[in-house]
Amino acid sequence: MSDIREIPIIARGRIIRPTDDDVAIFNGRGGAQFRSPDPHRHIHDMVLGNPVLLADLMDTPTSQIIEFLVEVGKRLRLDDNPWFQESFELCLQAGGLAEPILRSVYDRLPALFDGHHLTEQVENTIGSAYLDGWVARDGHDGRYRTRAIGTRQLHITAGNVPVVAAVTIIRGALSKSDILIKSPSNDPLTANAIARTMIELDAAHPVTKHVAVAYWKGGDEAMEREIVRTTRIDKITAWGGMSSVRHIQKFLQPGIDLIALNPKFSISMVGAETLESEAAMDEAATGIAVMAGLMNQTACVNTRMVYIECGDDDESLAKLEDLGRRVVAALKTLPSFFSTPAAAPNPELEAELEAVAMEDDFYTVLGNTVDGGVVISRFPDRVDFYDQLNNRVVNLIPVPDLLDVVKWCDDTTQNVGIYPESLRDRLIGPFALAGVQQFVPLSGGDPVKVYREFNSLPAGMPHDGIEPLRRSVRWVIDHRAPAEQAVNHLQVAAA
Amino acid sequence: MGEAAVATKVVLDPSQPERWPELGFENLYAMSWRDCVEAQTQALRLRFESMSGSLPALDKLASKEGIRSIDSIEDALPLLFDHRVFKNYPLSLIETRNIPKLHAWLGRLTTHDLSAMDLTGLTTIEAWLDRLDDFGMLVTTSSGTTGKLSFVPRSQTEYPTWERVYLAMLHATTGVDPYSDPVETFAPSYRGGHQTALKVPMMFNTIAAGGSEHYHTLYQTHMSADLMSLAGRMQAAEDRGELDKLGLDPALITARQDMIALAKRRPRDLKDWFNKLFEDYRGKRVKISGLGSDMLKTALDGRSNGIKPEFGAGSFAFYGGGLKGFKHDLPDWEAYVREFFGIERLGTCYGMSEIMGITPRCAHGNYHFQPFTIPVLFDAEMNPLPREGTQTGRFGFFDLLAQTYWGGFISGDEVTMHWEEDCACGWKQPYVDPAISRYSDKAGGDDKITCAGTQKVYDDFLNFVSEG
Repeated sequence: MSDIREIPIIARGRIIRPTDDDVAIFNGRGGAQFRSPDPHRHIHDMVLGNPVLLADLMDTPTSQIIEFLVEVGKRLRLDDNPWFQESFELCLQAGGLAEPILRSVYDRLPALFDGHHLTEQVENTIGSAYLDGWVARDGHDGRYRTRAIGTRQLHITAGNVPVVAAVTIIRGALSKSDILIKSPSNDPLTANAIARTMIELDAAHPVTKHVAVAYWKGGDEAMEREIVRTTRIDKITAWGGMSSVRHIQKFLQPGIDLIALNPKFSISMVGAETLESEAAMDEAATGIAVMAGLMNQTACVNTRMVYIECGDDDESLAKLEDLGRRVVAALKTLPSFFSTPAAAPNPELEAELEAVAMEDDFYTVLGNTVDGGVVISRFPDRVDFYDQLNNRVVNLIPVPDLLDVVKWCDDTTQNVGIYPESLRDRLIGPFALAGVQQFVPLSGGDPVKVYREFNSLPAGMPHDGIEPLRRSVRWVIDHRAPAEQAVNHLQVAAA
Repeated sequence: MGEAAVATKVVLDPSQPERWPELGFENLYAMSWRDCVEAQTQALRLRFESMSGSLPALDKLASKEGIRSIDSIEDALPLLFDHRVFKNYPLSLIETRNIPKLHAWLGRLTTHDLSAMDLTGLTTIEAWLDRLDDFGMLVTTSSGTTGKLSFVPRSQTEYPTWERVYLAMLHATTGVDPYSDPVETFAPSYRGGHQTALKVPMMFNTIAAGGSEHYHTLYQTHMSADLMSLAGRMQAAEDRGELDKLGLDPALITARQDMIALAKRRPRDLKDWFNKLFEDYRGKRVKISGLGSDMLKTALDGRSNGIKPEFGAGSFAFYGGGLKGFKHDLPDWEAYVREFFGIERLGTCYGMSEIMGITPRCAHGNYHFQPFTIPVLFDAEMNPLPREGTQTGRFGFFDLLAQTYWGGFISGDEVTMHWEEDCACGWKQPYVDPAISRYSDKAGGDDKITCAGTQKVYDDFLNFVSEG
């Protein structure tokens, strides 16, 4: 029984541990078992029934919230934070990411709590003035004022990358909101570990007092019926699309705002001139390898299809194969802090690759599902198993005109990698209209440089086409009477 | 009837495994599989030798695996095709109706020379398959949930054997010999189409019924392969208001509308059809054929409406495709169906589109192979499991009846195989017990070729379009 880990419920500054007569056992990924207090008995510890109790956070200046988060960030270190060590171990066991990559993800978490980063995030989205007080609209005698008011939020988080837990806690605090995090079974402890760090730092801090973290089985109707009520929740952020939303959906009603962060996939576009020069092919191949390989292709930002503007005659296809070989070679040069060979082959994808490899007329396969690879379409269409591309395998597709690719893009197309930069102006309009949410550069030539560029977005940029911080507050108007009426009234009252 | 026949000792000629079914299933089931291994291995070796050099996909696999000859079944295991080989063409060939390329692709999977076939005027997959039939092929299609069609390149060369084993399977599981005792047959399905689940019954139920006029189906129309394969694409185009831009034959768009209307009507039609059958054939001997779920739905519905069929003595039923996830709370749904219809025998089988030797279910609920199919089992790492005792693993097989295409396949099914020939029914040979599951279901997906899969796609398609 020593394998059973304890996952307490974190309830606004309090840690509720399982006891012999208050316990529920859950099965996690990778054979893990968890022991938690019975969530059904702690609904009131998890939700904030009375929204007026958010007054303490409302009255805390944003600057103080940021100061607190900065202090929390300093303590999120694998070296000496035992809760962090435990959550790291569990994430590793769940098996989503290789050890060196997971370690670098954890190492980068404190940077999310950097003071400048947090300030930039607030000021470029809601603006601290709107969070800390009522802001008058210019030119109207100060009669029309607005304020961003914190809300009560349920977050159904994704577990494939532990960053989600940290981002959720930060967004909750910066929007002065009360958050309940439903942990995922593949990362049951990261949010928990951050919240416990906050309690240790200051259990009475208003931010700490508005974070609750619990695990219950997704689809537990008794739980979700109790929680998802207009009297208890204002906003739901659901990562992971239909599977996480499906059971919650039946409790949705007007008054509860659903922010769905659907699963996405990403693609790249390579211009015709690339195949004309060895240097350009190498640079593009490195960019493609980085975009395919980072986080070992487990994330939505990873390119799975790469469209190249070229013909499907033998000469063009020979060049495309050349580019493919360079991509396979570039995958092998990626540093292990963001990309590694797979621990084991992916049998389903391997079978797909073997099946198409038998057909010389249609496809060429280079590499494999351990080291990464490419499957080259010999005609202008993606492979039929494009939604299974994983293990650092990408599909190279020749297309006569990159604008044709717009027909395959929609709301699920998150990132579009672009090489060379000269393509950009021609493509971004139609692709943005089709649903694409971000265009990223593939140039740079050096894997670390390209990777850093990928991670260089300033704080407070949109996420999946929306601005989550602005979306997560309630925008309230304070419409005041004209000055003379207000005065008259007071005089009458005083008389 | 059949099971009472006394077995005679027979000899398997390795040069003609396609003639083994002529020896009779009773005689084949009287043999121990251990006494068949030598003939099976010889036959497999000969099949490989005769096809080498004329099937590019097989040659490619053999050369990759470094296999030049086969001296044992183990030698041949690397030569099992993944089921994807029958659909490793690009979907865009279907979407653009690029028949010449599709035809060339199919040609590489069969030893027949398809290049002689005239492709003039072909604009639909259905018409192409029809013409292939005229040319001497008997291609059947099936599809997983992605809707992508697999094409099994069978031909008239296989037909006599195929007919014999299919009807022997019916005989073995229902106890009625279709050749000597044809029975009026009712199937609540389409009249035909190239999908395995429609083409096979159309070919063989007609014989088992004693002629086309004795085989009754719910609908008299065919199910179009084009509609099946383009359903998703057509829906997406319609969502964008661009159905007209797909460049499809207008007849296909009309057919789609008809199909949607039909889908909405089907529950009502099914009920009326069965009720008429109950009236018209009261006291007469019949055979009901089709999906288990349709039979159960009809039984549940009929009983709640106080309907009681009264067919003649010796009536029976045969189903395929299981219940397809149809939910019920009956402890024994088959008993319920038998009782409602007033029949004693309810036969069924286990198999898949790629195999001709579909296994009949025996009186004790198990599925026995016959020597013309060599079953093999693999563990999770694709290591072969020993051919002894009871083993659970991934099912693969060599279909020795395949004369014009390679018959070795790995399925997506997990089965429990019993090698000790200890079934109480008295039949020997290896058998699979009823605990059959799909690996893809476990992994949370589904893209396997089965008759049931075809039906599932068909149903998904109809749900999709009629609810959309």
